[in-house]
Amino acid sequence: MGVMLEIRGLRKTFGAGKVALDGVSFAVPAGQMFGFVGANGAGKTTTMRIVMKVLAADEGEVIWNGRPLTFTERRTFGYMPEERGLYQKMRVGEQIDYFGRLHGLDAATVGKSRDALVERLGLTARVGDTVESLSLGNQQRVQLAVALIHDPELLILDEPFSGLDPIAVDVLAEVLHERARGGVPVIFSSHQLELVERLCDAVGIVSAGRMVASGTVDELRDAEGRRLRVVVRDAKPGWAEGLPGELSKDGDRDVLTVVGGDDQTVLRKATEAGHVEFFGVERPTLVEIFREAVA
Amino acid sequence: MSGLLLVAGREISTQVRTRAFVIGLLVSVVLVGGLAFAPKLFGGPDEYNLGRVGGQELAIQALAPDAKITWKTYPDEKAATTAVLDGDIDVAVVDSKRVLTNGEIDDQLGLMLQSANREAQIGAAGVTITPLQVQSVGADTRYESARQGIATVIVLLLFFMIISAVMTVAMGVVEEKGSRIVEILLISIRPWQLLGGKILGLGVVGFLNLVAVVAAGLVGAFLSGFAADFPPGMTGIVVSAVLWWILGYAFFAVLAGSLASLVSRQEEVGNVLQPMMLLFMISYGVSFFASANPDHPVSEILSFVPPFSSMVMPVRMAASEVAIWEVLLSGALMLVAVAGVLTLGGRIYERAVLRTGKRVKVSEVLRTK
Repeated sequence: MGVMLEIRGLRKTFGAGKVALDGVSFAVPAGQMFGFVGANGAGKTTTMRIVMKVLAADEGEVIWNGRPLTFTERRTFGYMPEERGLYQKMRVGEQIDYFGRLHGLDAATVGKSRDALVERLGLTARVGDTVESLSLGNQQRVQLAVALIHDPELLILDEPFSGLDPIAVDVLAEVLHERARGGVPVIFSSHQLELVERLCDAVGIVSAGRMVASGTVDELRDAEGRRLRVVVRDAKPGWAEGLPGELSKDGDRDVLTVVGGDDQTVLRKATEAGHVEFFGVERPTLVEIFREAVA
Repeated sequence: MSGLLLVAGREISTQVRTRAFVIGLLVSVVLVGGLAFAPKLFGGPDEYNLGRVGGQELAIQALAPDAKITWKTYPDEKAATTAVLDGDIDVAVVDSKRVLTNGEIDDQLGLMLQSANREAQIGAAGVTITPLQVQSVGADTRYESARQGIATVIVLLLFFMIISAVMTVAMGVVEEKGSRIVEILLISIRPWQLLGGKILGLGVVGFLNLVAVVAAGLVGAFLSGFAADFPPGMTGIVVSAVLWWILGYAFFAVLAGSLASLVSRQEEVGNVLQPMMLLFMISYGVSFFASANPDHPVSEILSFVPPFSSMVMPVRMAASEVAIWEVLLSGALMLVAVAGVLTLGGRIYERAVLRTGKRVKVSEVLRTK
């Protein structure tokens, strides 16, 4: 069995009977970039915190390579919590080194790994500065360096892209891709769905403590069904009667969205009805899939 | 173990580089070192500059063996008068008959001069006087005031040195919890390593601070001559005070660290530490009482009861004579108390430090598995 993280039936209820997780399950195999999306309070952070044992689940298991995850194994993970945590008055380089040493690396290995990371993340000039003197974006890069310093076997990042400028987003995306290509499962949450769609091999959508949809982006699209979109100008009224779909008006244009049904029939009816301006199969975006899933 | 040492190392290197630490250390060293000169500055003059016009030097050195006495000779009364008025000399003795002073004469000096003069005249008449021998049939009280002074210094030293180090531990715990650094730290190390390393590291810093201050005080005492008044067994008193500091620090630091883990904000630290502060202030109050009444039953009993004993016992040892078995018993009891608070505090810390947000109740923490 290859490297794989499995989340099985996580349940968590907080103090006042607030159900945070209601049976979340999913799996992330080696080398997969898994995007974790969901509305605020849906349970993404809670799930990640349970994997990292910051929180204890009421029920359910976290399985690593077929067995329940242990402290020693978790120690090889890289974690970036949603509420960033760094020693504000500590210098960037020393901070990265410190976390590397805590993960059990010797000083020489840490030094090499740190030099490569700060270079990659564009922090070389700031190594001697205290964290508090950095911009938030740069602090985030340091946070990422802290999560990556020990060459983790799995990455869990809570909102790693929030607050980054477009260039930093590209750098981070590239860094995560490298890790995934190296066989590391990468799990990250984000509200930037376009980004998730672009970067991730697989997506999990959580809503109200449940995993409402998960799989590769293509699988999710297929599950949505094929959608046909037809735009007809100056169409005769009532032309779309009997066709499975929704008709809407946009000025003098009729817009018909059809799920399922025979596309040739639809096309024939449309050409008979008027001037066909657009006819095609539409692939739903992740945003649309997401809206549909959490609705 | 290496995790614990790494944490301790970070605490030490971070702490000693802060400006607050360096300035605090310098100020306390200078203050304590300077304090050793205080008896000299504020005590009576034990240095006399005397002038003489004709006659013999009076043998007052024998009457005040510790005092530094300098005689100067002047050719005539006029020169001696000028010297007295200018403050070059305290008094001038003219022809072994009159004493010139500027205003009133220092009481002690006056008595010594009269007495020396009397002896000189009687001696000249051929009579030898055998001085009275003083022999104490009670306890040796020669060093009583010195012992009490030293005990007071130890009370203050332990008070400031324990509380400053302990508060640093509490603040550090909340800093890590409030900023969520713990969430990352606890991926790679266990809670006991994090708390233990912090307590060890800040303990080393506090210890160095204490040693520096004690050294400054001792050097000051030797330079000022105050060390001459040290009672016998002074080394033992100093060493034991340092050892008791370690025990007291360990107890209160574990308590403070675990209580601090219940809150997430620095503003709440004062509140959550109240039970610990109460214990600490009682220890302080009792040890202050014990410095003046080392043999009072309250002092004696509480010098065995942890954690009060950590401050009361060293004070009793300085202020009075304490049998070695008493010290060992008290030390052993304190060690047991430290082990106890470690077990309990470790459990509180482990269960509370990841529960950010509002203050966690101790009862809640101890109940959950």
